[in-house]
Amino acid sequence: MVNLLNVESVLFYVVICLYFLAMIGYFLFIAIKKDGVAKAAAIVQTVGLVLHTAALICRGIGAGRLPMTNQYEFATSFAWGLSLVSLIFIAKYKFPVIGAFAAPVILLLIGYAAMQSREVKELMPALRSSWLGFHVSTAIIAYGSFGVSFVLGVIFLLRDRLKDRGFWDRHVPAKEKLDLIAYRSVCLGLLFLTFTIVTGAIWAEQAWGSYWSWDPKETWSLVTWLVYAAYLHFRIFRGWKGKAAAIFAVVGFVCVIFTYVGVNTFLPGIHSYA
Amino acid sequence: MRKIWKFLSSMQFALILLVILAAACAGGSFIPQGLSLEQYAAQYSERGAGLILGLGLDDVFHAWWFLLLTAFLCGNLLLCNLVRLPQLVKRTKAAADPAKRGAPAVSVEGVRDPDALFARLRMPKPAETRDAEGRPLRFSVRNRIGLWGAWVCHLGILLLILGFALGQMTKEEYTVYGVPGQIKQIGETDYFVQIHDFRVDRNEDGFAEQYTAGLTVIDNADENDPLAEDAVASVNHPGSAFGFKLYQNSLGDAAKLSLRRDGEIVQESWVCAGDSVPILETPLSLRLQSVLWEEAEGERLPTGYAYMIYVGEELYTMNVQGEGETIPDFQPYEVQLSEAQSYTLLQVKRDRFTPLAFLGGIVTMLGLLLAFYLQTKKLWAIQNEDGTWTVHGSSPKAGALFADRVREEAEQLKQEK
Ligand code: HEM
Repeated sequence: MVNLLNVESVLFYVVICLYFLAMIGYFLFIAIKKDGVAKAAAIVQTVGLVLHTAALICRGIGAGRLPMTNQYEFATSFAWGLSLVSLIFIAKYKFPVIGAFAAPVILLLIGYAAMQSREVKELMPALRSSWLGFHVSTAIIAYGSFGVSFVLGVIFLLRDRLKDRGFWDRHVPAKEKLDLIAYRSVCLGLLFLTFTIVTGAIWAEQAWGSYWSWDPKETWSLVTWLVYAAYLHFRIFRGWKGKAAAIFAVVGFVCVIFTYVGVNTFLPGIHSYA
Repeated sequence: MRKIWKFLSSMQFALILLVILAAACAGGSFIPQGLSLEQYAAQYSERGAGLILGLGLDDVFHAWWFLLLTAFLCGNLLLCNLVRLPQLVKRTKAAADPAKRGAPAVSVEGVRDPDALFARLRMPKPAETRDAEGRPLRFSVRNRIGLWGAWVCHLGILLLILGFALGQMTKEEYTVYGVPGQIKQIGETDYFVQIHDFRVDRNEDGFAEQYTAGLTVIDNADENDPLAEDAVASVNHPGSAFGFKLYQNSLGDAAKLSLRRDGEIVQESWVCAGDSVPILETPLSLRLQSVLWEEAEGERLPTGYAYMIYVGEELYTMNVQGEGETIPDFQPYEVQLSEAQSYTLLQVKRDRFTPLAFLGGIVTMLGLLLAFYLQTKKLWAIQNEDGTWTVHGSSPKAGALFADRVREEAEQLKQEK
């Protein structure tokens, strides 16, 4: 038991180092414009992700439950989700610039995790539910996807301001395509956020007998959901694709972060454990 | 009138509603809900407090304007779905019609084997026909069902809101607590809950991991012929009987309270922690605060009972009675707390519309899946005079990305040949 948690501790710091290295790699890629460097950075990030997965598994086995039930565990899982989804988008759309913007966010999240208490606490009975497992794992994918939408929104907004057109034109898709890729990430996120809300509601119904009680975390996940729904409609409405959509993707992620960090910090509620 | 109608069913109105609702929800989470005028005045100012109460900001999610906005959203969704239904049927039909191909998002020339390209792009086997100019035409469409995604999603949201609203209006909620052996009435209804047993599973550290109550719900509407249904309620696994669901909410300490006079028992009852029991004709009442426990060799034994004694509403004294001792303050009675155990607190609910709300949730998810992951794609090929084909593709949602894929696959096909 104790051993696995120690292994997790060591892995956690190795993972931070690898993500940091990957970030430096991505920055270097932009600075010296060598495609090989981007590949190397993506490989380092992938190794980081594999070890990160191993760390989470160690913690899960060590603690005897899903490693997603307190601020530390959820923060590191959130970083894991963003790392996973960003790598998928980097590979699928051959778009390593995503890494340069995603890596700092991943490091911020994992840095936030490092500041939280790592103690393994007993779970109250209501938290021992497989619905809760689905609830939290879908949240991680949703948040990871919205992290990527945020990154793509930022890239979209910066795209025209960047000098050295040759490099950026080669490595950042044209606006229409960039918007579509961002749209894809929002779709993935919104689908998983909906899973998160529904599985959370099912769990709450079984545990407390009330599937929706306007607790601040629930309310903020609804706010986030509405913001991304508005994003989708803005894209269709008069074809407000592009800039307006990009701004919404950025605002949406601010809501995500608030739902995750802000609600626990500023507002009271039954979600205060995670 | 037509104009108003049109606006009410428009996406512009939908966007306004979505943004206002999001803002209202955010506001509702920042302003503490359900406080009194004085409490708000202490936190904000007198005027702020008046404003909060006046606008219903103390209970945003049930305020008339919030409900009105939600009602508008439902009306908007319903109208939009009704208006779009015939259009969608038409669009779905048109999408399969080779004559209504529309403008392509991509065109690739010089393709020798169009069927291979269709297969590579995982398009269904193309229909063979001719275009308006009589040239050979291959046409195929995939995921027409995806056109229905938004419609299904909107329907799901409607069902969800409807189920939630009806549930809020009609649901019944009660709290029942007690120890094994007791029969408790569910609120003021004709139903009673008999508690047979209550088991608490603890880990090595004495931490409660699960608790389970064995129950019988009794329908006493006809006193001469009561009906009974058994139920088991544990945390995360509610029991059900007579349309009620019984949720294991929490547990607490309970003890048996016995009153003796001259060694004879005159009264016995169970008290749960937090409850006060008046002591016969004395002006006093006894409140059990908690039971003190000791872990010994894996067993959990009671060592004492923390209690308070009240005269009317006033606290008179507080103390701990050891196991086996008596409380001396109630002369001529000898009062004793004993047989410590746990009571179960059950949440008893009846909401017939929960399944409707969950159905709405599932339909919404289904709609999102359709809209996002079954995007409609069209691919068609027209034969040129030199025998090669020009392949065109379009997708209302995947546009440029689909175009890229068509180009890539065509390029690869060319190289392989
Ligand atoms: C909470 C509320 C709503 C949600 C979650 C929602 C969700 C969606 C989704 C997921 C799509 C598909 C978008 C895409 O594929 O990119 C969509 C499209 C659409 N929505 Fe909504 N919607 C909501 C409210 C409304 C309302 C009130 C209207 C009323 C006018 C509306 C009108 C439309 C229209 C016209 C489309 C385009 C349909 C299409 O492309 O076939 N939506 N909505």
